[in-house]
Amino acid sequence: MALNPFFLHGSASEQRLVQDLINEQLRMFGVDIYYMPRKFLGSKTVMKENVLARFDDNYVIEAYLQNYEGFAGSGDLMTKFGIRTTDELTLVISKERYDDFVASFYDTTLAEEVLVARPKEGDLIYLPLTDSLFEIKFVEHENPFYQLGKLYMYELKCELFEYEDEVINTTIEEIDDNVQDIGYIANITFVGIGSTAAVTAGILTGAVNQIIMINDGYGYTSPPAVAISTSPAGITTANATVVAITTTAGAGSTTFSIKEVQITNPGFGYTQPPTVTFSGAGGVGAVARAGIATEGVTHIVNSSISTTGSNYVTAPVVSISTSPAGVSTANATAVAVVGTGGTISAIRFTNAGFGYTIAPTITIADPASAGIATGNFFINEVIRGESSLSTARVKSWDADTKILKISNIADPFRIGEVLTGTATTITNPGMANTGRYVIQTIQYEDKYDQYAENIVIESEADDILDFTETNPFGEF
Amino acid sequence: MFGQYFYHEILRKTVIGFGTLFNAIEVRHSDDNDDVQSRMKVPLAYGPMQKFLAKIEQQPELKGRPAITLPRMSFEMTGINYDASRKASITQTFKTCNTGTLADLKKVYMPVPYNISFQLSIATKLNDDMLQILEQILPYFQPGLNISINLVSSIGEKRDVPIILENINMTDDYEGSFDNRRAMISTLTFTAKTYLFGKIADTSDGLIKRVQVDYFDGTNRVTAKRIQRYAATPRALKDYNDDATNAINKDLTAEQTVLSVNSASGFSVDDFIAIGNENMQVRSISGNELTVYRAVDGTTAIDHVAGSVINLISGSRDASLPLTGDDALIIAGDDFGFNELSSFYQDYKEYSPSQGTDV
Repeated sequence: MALNPFFLHGSASEQRLVQDLINEQLRMFGVDIYYMPRKFLGSKTVMKENVLARFDDNYVIEAYLQNYEGFAGSGDLMTKFGIRTTDELTLVISKERYDDFVASFYDTTLAEEVLVARPKEGDLIYLPLTDSLFEIKFVEHENPFYQLGKLYMYELKCELFEYEDEVINTTIEEIDDNVQDIGYIANITFVGIGSTAAVTAGILTGAVNQIIMINDGYGYTSPPAVAISTSPAGITTANATVVAITTTAGAGSTTFSIKEVQITNPGFGYTQPPTVTFSGAGGVGAVARAGIATEGVTHIVNSSISTTGSNYVTAPVVSISTSPAGVSTANATAVAVVGTGGTISAIRFTNAGFGYTIAPTITIADPASAGIATGNFFINEVIRGESSLSTARVKSWDADTKILKISNIADPFRIGEVLTGTATTITNPGMANTGRYVIQTIQYEDKYDQYAENIVIESEADDILDFTETNPFGEF
Repeated sequence: MFGQYFYHEILRKTVIGFGTLFNAIEVRHSDDNDDVQSRMKVPLAYGPMQKFLAKIEQQPELKGRPAITLPRMSFEMTGINYDASRKASITQTFKTCNTGTLADLKKVYMPVPYNISFQLSIATKLNDDMLQILEQILPYFQPGLNISINLVSSIGEKRDVPIILENINMTDDYEGSFDNRRAMISTLTFTAKTYLFGKIADTSDGLIKRVQVDYFDGTNRVTAKRIQRYAATPRALKDYNDDATNAINKDLTAEQTVLSVNSASGFSVDDFIAIGNENMQVRSISGNELTVYRAVDGTTAIDHVAGSVINLISGSRDASLPLTGDDALIIAGDDFGFNELSSFYQDYKEYSPSQGTDV
């Protein structure tokens, strides 16, 4: 039998009246919450997981807190993974208000946004009352059940958000700072504005101008001592001195070969090429011979470094004016040694040259931080390494200590490269300069996580473990 | 009976050694173009801790915090069992001393083998993270992995401790009501085969620095006649006292056997000398030139430059005399040669250790 047509189960005007009454009640007795839809940036097929997400929109909407006596859930629990807080919350929002003030503002052209017609599981709710982020785990849409033939509200069952590396970038500081100190955080220190070093040089005759490696040897555990025959000139400063530079040990290896021998003092007064010998450090086989030159460049002693410069991170290029002898091997070449505090502590010749009739000009390149090291960074700003092209996001920035905390690191950054921010006066009104600094150190181990003990365990283990065959899982 | 305090921190060292294996595990997340957008080191901690410390460290401020940050790894020691299969004789002792010292002898009973059970737990938010972490761990265990732990540093006792992966248990509660959270936890069970050492006692025994053997012509101690005595003392194979007796004043190739020195007064024939890592023995002396045997005592002949220092490897060279010079400075753990002495007798005496002479 069909229904009695003389009775109506809710007219459109009655349904609107109920919806209006609900809206009015919610606006009188509810609290403001921020609704933050999830944007899908990376998903895994087969396992069906959203691995990368961003929350950068927020919509204020009023909601009724059903937990008027406190959160549901089991509260704070001590687990083997540290403290887990299991607060749960049930919120009621109006269906009409959600449609008008949240759903209608979605940018439906974006592929990142999925299913906009209703509140959805996985979206976040920021509750200003407790300053915490909740994740919607279930949306109940049929409670109460079709009064006057229609549904008027959504019941959002939420629990505290489990944070991993999601980007929370709403531009509202109270929300964004909730994840500022948590999750994985690496830190970078920067160098200040650098100044350029300068050296002066002279010329001398009978100097050792080149050490040519004949055999690079093997099995050295550290740079071996290198001895050179004394000079016939008979005074200490006339004796050439050199240092050996070893190769970098390959994976799993703890011994080296000799990469090159650099001249710290070319000496003078040699009439025939001196003998070069290697000793110590456990290695064998290294053989080198020395060449001597008339009119080579003199020893760069500390007093010759007229300005030590500052804030060098990597060894700068050393340029020496060419020799009148006119052949490329006559031109002196040298490398700089960066000492403590980023100053140039020594100049070592790889070739002291020959045929110079007047003292050459030696120029040391500017430190990478010359003229930069200005500006500031802002939370969630994307930063980019200029040579590694890697990107990351700023967690926080301390302009006084020049320590930048970052997360969401795409690729490793390089020591000594320039790091540039992307903030502009449009995104951050009132900023003076976009942050631009040279990286001094990067620590990828998270030293801010209050749970992690990785650094403590590693340093304790260094004293008691014998990893002469290297830790297969990697050390830091 | 017990009550003699000792604590080598062996259990703690085994815990640290186990933990450090999983110290640098990384998780990466890629976007839909398969470009890595986020890489993070997985935090690791020893699970059990004081509850109040957990609270004040992990929740210093009582403001709103997330439920937890993931992924996380935690490990804990779950049991200690005696391992009878590695049992050694319980009365056996061995003596040892710190390497790099002259003599500091310790007496140690054989260590007692114990198996320590560990549990490594991994919690992740995503299944993909879990698989990344497991794949970085599992290939190293077949099913064991050895780590060398300096168990008792005072005696330089390093032991290889095999860590054996016993069991892997994965749980993923994704079924059921939407009220329950999905929890993904993998638990890996390991056994570390370590050794526990008892008290390490000082011993008044000294290092043996001289050996002497007498040969008799029979086994009857009354009628046997003493024929020969052989005595040996250690001879240093390198220079310890850095005496820098002289220096060569001309370059010396690996083949040359004549050294030119400023003054030969400090040298005599048959002396052992060291230049760098090469040992030589003086064959003859003529004015300020030494003729030498090159590369003695297993060293290798190499070139030496003018100005290289000559060190004298000094000693009495007589096995009947007390050790002097470099011979007396040989430290435990170093290689050494021998000063030997053979004496011949036709008498009926024998050596008395208590009187230190033949009676």
